[in-house]
Amino acid sequence: MSDEHIERNTDGIRPVRQEPRHLRRAVIIWALLSIIGIVAVIFLAPMVLPVAADDVDATANGTLVFFTVLAVPVALFVFVFLGYSVRVFRVKEQPTDGGTPLQPTPALQIGWLGVTGLLCLFLVIWGLFASYQQTVAAPSNTLVIQVTGQQWLWNFNYPQYSASTQGQTIELPVNRPVVFEVSSKDVLHGFSIRALGIRVDANPGQITSTTIVTPSRIGHYDVACVELCGLYHSYMWSAVDVVSGSAFNSWIVSQGGHL
Amino acid sequence: MTEVKHVNLFQRLFPSVISGILLGVIGAVAAAWLVAIWAPENYDAQVAAGYTAWALFFFIGIGAFNGVARWGIARRDATPTEELYLAGKDQGLWRYFRYTTDHKVVGMQYLATVLVMFFLGSMGAFMIRLEQSQPGAIFLNPSTYNTIVGMHGILMIAATIVMISGPFGNFVLPIMIGARDMAFPRLNALSYWLLFAAIPIFFSTLAFGGFPTGWTGYAPLAVQELTPGMDAYCFTIILFAISTTVAALNIVTTVLVFRARGMTWGRLPIFVWGVLFSVVLGLTAFPSFLMSQVMVVMDRVFQTSFFVASFGGSNWLYEHMFWFMGHPEVYVIALPAMAVAAEVTSVFARKPVFGYRMTIGSLAGISVLSVLVWGHHLYTSGSTAALNGPYMLDTELISIPTGVFFLGIIGTLWRGKIWMTVPLLFVAGMLVNFVVGGVTGIYLADLPTDEILHGGMFVTAHFHFTLVGSMVFGFFAGFYYWFPKMLGRRLNPALGRFHFWLFEIGFLGTFLALFYAGLQGEPRWSANVAPAYAVPNLIASLFAILIAASVFILVYNVVITLLRGERAIANEWGARTLEWMVPTPVPLENFEHLPEVKGLPYDYSPSSPNTDAIPVMVPATPHDYQPPESLKNDGGGGTIQETPLEN
Repeated sequence: MSDEHIERNTDGIRPVRQEPRHLRRAVIIWALLSIIGIVAVIFLAPMVLPVAADDVDATANGTLVFFTVLAVPVALFVFVFLGYSVRVFRVKEQPTDGGTPLQPTPALQIGWLGVTGLLCLFLVIWGLFASYQQTVAAPSNTLVIQVTGQQWLWNFNYPQYSASTQGQTIELPVNRPVVFEVSSKDVLHGFSIRALGIRVDANPGQITSTTIVTPSRIGHYDVACVELCGLYHSYMWSAVDVVSGSAFNSWIVSQGGHL
Repeated sequence: MTEVKHVNLFQRLFPSVISGILLGVIGAVAAAWLVAIWAPENYDAQVAAGYTAWALFFFIGIGAFNGVARWGIARRDATPTEELYLAGKDQGLWRYFRYTTDHKVVGMQYLATVLVMFFLGSMGAFMIRLEQSQPGAIFLNPSTYNTIVGMHGILMIAATIVMISGPFGNFVLPIMIGARDMAFPRLNALSYWLLFAAIPIFFSTLAFGGFPTGWTGYAPLAVQELTPGMDAYCFTIILFAISTTVAALNIVTTVLVFRARGMTWGRLPIFVWGVLFSVVLGLTAFPSFLMSQVMVVMDRVFQTSFFVASFGGSNWLYEHMFWFMGHPEVYVIALPAMAVAAEVTSVFARKPVFGYRMTIGSLAGISVLSVLVWGHHLYTSGSTAALNGPYMLDTELISIPTGVFFLGIIGTLWRGKIWMTVPLLFVAGMLVNFVVGGVTGIYLADLPTDEILHGGMFVTAHFHFTLVGSMVFGFFAGFYYWFPKMLGRRLNPALGRFHFWLFEIGFLGTFLALFYAGLQGEPRWSANVAPAYAVPNLIASLFAILIAASVFILVYNVVITLLRGERAIANEWGARTLEWMVPTPVPLENFEHLPEVKGLPYDYSPSSPNTDAIPVMVPATPHDYQPPESLKNDGGGGTIQETPLEN
């Protein structure tokens, strides 16, 4: 991708090139910075992104990193050419004559459209493929949790255990698929667990099922409401604890469930 | 020379904004009181009646119906004297407070209004940053916080929608295409005063308990809310949507029929193209927003249930209607700002726009593609799974014309004679921020990443990068560029640079920190910042201090310039578009001789003779002022008689 950028640009601007080889210099600066930037992204991303507690979130985090890697040369292209122009072609006073009148050649235009078009299609295909991967058939041991939003808390219900939770912290057994069936009693809410890669609206009068996820990492994770739902939206926090299977069994009994 | 209508002091004061407000308030109170007799329990109905009466009687009081009444009752059109009086001839500063039809007056009214809205909106933003600077609820109670978030959002969105098409689209655009005024001068005044009439309605929400929905006004929350503050939101949007529709029709008609001789579509300045695409896009987008608010008002006042699920309504209906406006709307904001950037870059690089047709094509491509992208706001709503693929494809296709736009700007700068003035500085800042905003838009447009970012702080940071970092920077480029023409004074460039650097550094710091918070999963609209996100929020709030400082630098610069700034010359920047060819201050009829255009206004090469660059002027009536000094030697050669355009 990066090589094509260089070629197309050279094609386009060569006919009017004079004295110092500005284009070559700018392209070299861009290429060097791009390499540094991509390496930096790959090394820094794990420090910036939060830990994922399942595959869905890990995939999403991976997509974020991958998109950032693609974005680095694109952004640097603008930054470098902008910065180079502003530094090198700058004049002190109001100029009396004009700059070199350049017009894009058809080759440059077609090349630019081609590169950006390919990049864009690639992102679309990547996105479709990644979201298609999430639509898996429900395994037989899938844990179903009914989530009902109301102003301003979440009600959790485990129909397979005939249990409704009393508190705002629920538990999930590790390594067991789980699906949330989300709805709302009053207004629109947004059910989200960042660490599990789950984010779906709670619509009044509708039940929306989330992707089936399999928590793989024991820990304590936040549940947030991500749609503005009125006065105490900011306080509509819950939590999930991903625990071992035996700990989950004893917890569900304590919530009035039957194993 | 036409006689000026002579009036006494009473006629000078009425009709004006004073009589409009007086009559409007009386009408509103009377209507609310009458409805209160009939429906004492229905506060929404009382408030709605009050707002409707306010709008109606305000326009009666300001004289908006005088022309209609004259035609309807006296069966005659206005005489030229009356038209000149309506256009504000010889009325000094008072013309800015009347129903004045002169497009330059309307442009100035829009500019002042936009600046005030920006100021108030930014004060809301600083209150939000103050609240979010520490975990937990500290300064504001939840109700106040939600109202401030919503007011900040609506003020800023409304201001950004009109920030370029309003001030510059009205003041500069007609001169740029060589016209004496807009096609429908009275509609022009109407569009501004509709915006003006919406502002008291909007702020009355504070007296009626505020509104909890944020700027999106999502139903059923909007329907459920018991205080009448929500009605203020709905009526603000209804008036604003009518205002933009009227303004859009006016601008489209003006560009279609009022271009000067020789101003072919292939010679139209890019700024005109950008505004044209923007307002056409607004014409398709805003009616659905208007209707959605009419439906919310009906749900609230008459207990219809368009959006209430328990009575057969659907919140998805609202979401689709809202975002059918909401996503094209960001391009309504973006297109003129991008066009300003192209215009300003060409002037200060002293080079033609790199690919005039290519850049126009990119703006056209964006405006066409953006009509069908709204569904990407509903990826996680559970309503549109089958169409997620097409929405994603269309959204990401927009990056192609946007990339072409960047090619155009970078190509214009490349090997130019770059004169780093304040307007160009803002364009440079815009490019930097727009790249970040555009790239992060890809993350939100793509299904797998939107699933972890939707409704979070990442979205907030993204659209602030596009709307503030890119488009408001584009507005400021235009502001510093056209200020000498519009107000006849030079803004202090040192203060302008200071404004820019404070704004840019503060902006990057604030919203890069919020990107980080969003990646961690912080939800939007939260008065109660969770401890996990405390650090990036504190950093964001500290950087916001710089933005606040930049706001006051700007205010100081504008005030000091208006009080004792240097007078600007007619062609302050040595630009080639028509608005710089007329004298400053611009005379009432803009041109004594209507210009004839011979080419694109972007030729800065010394080899090209000046006569080609500066348009030939052909004589036209009326001759009620002296031709500009700068044109006495060049043009005036032609002898074709031009029909005078109606003012």
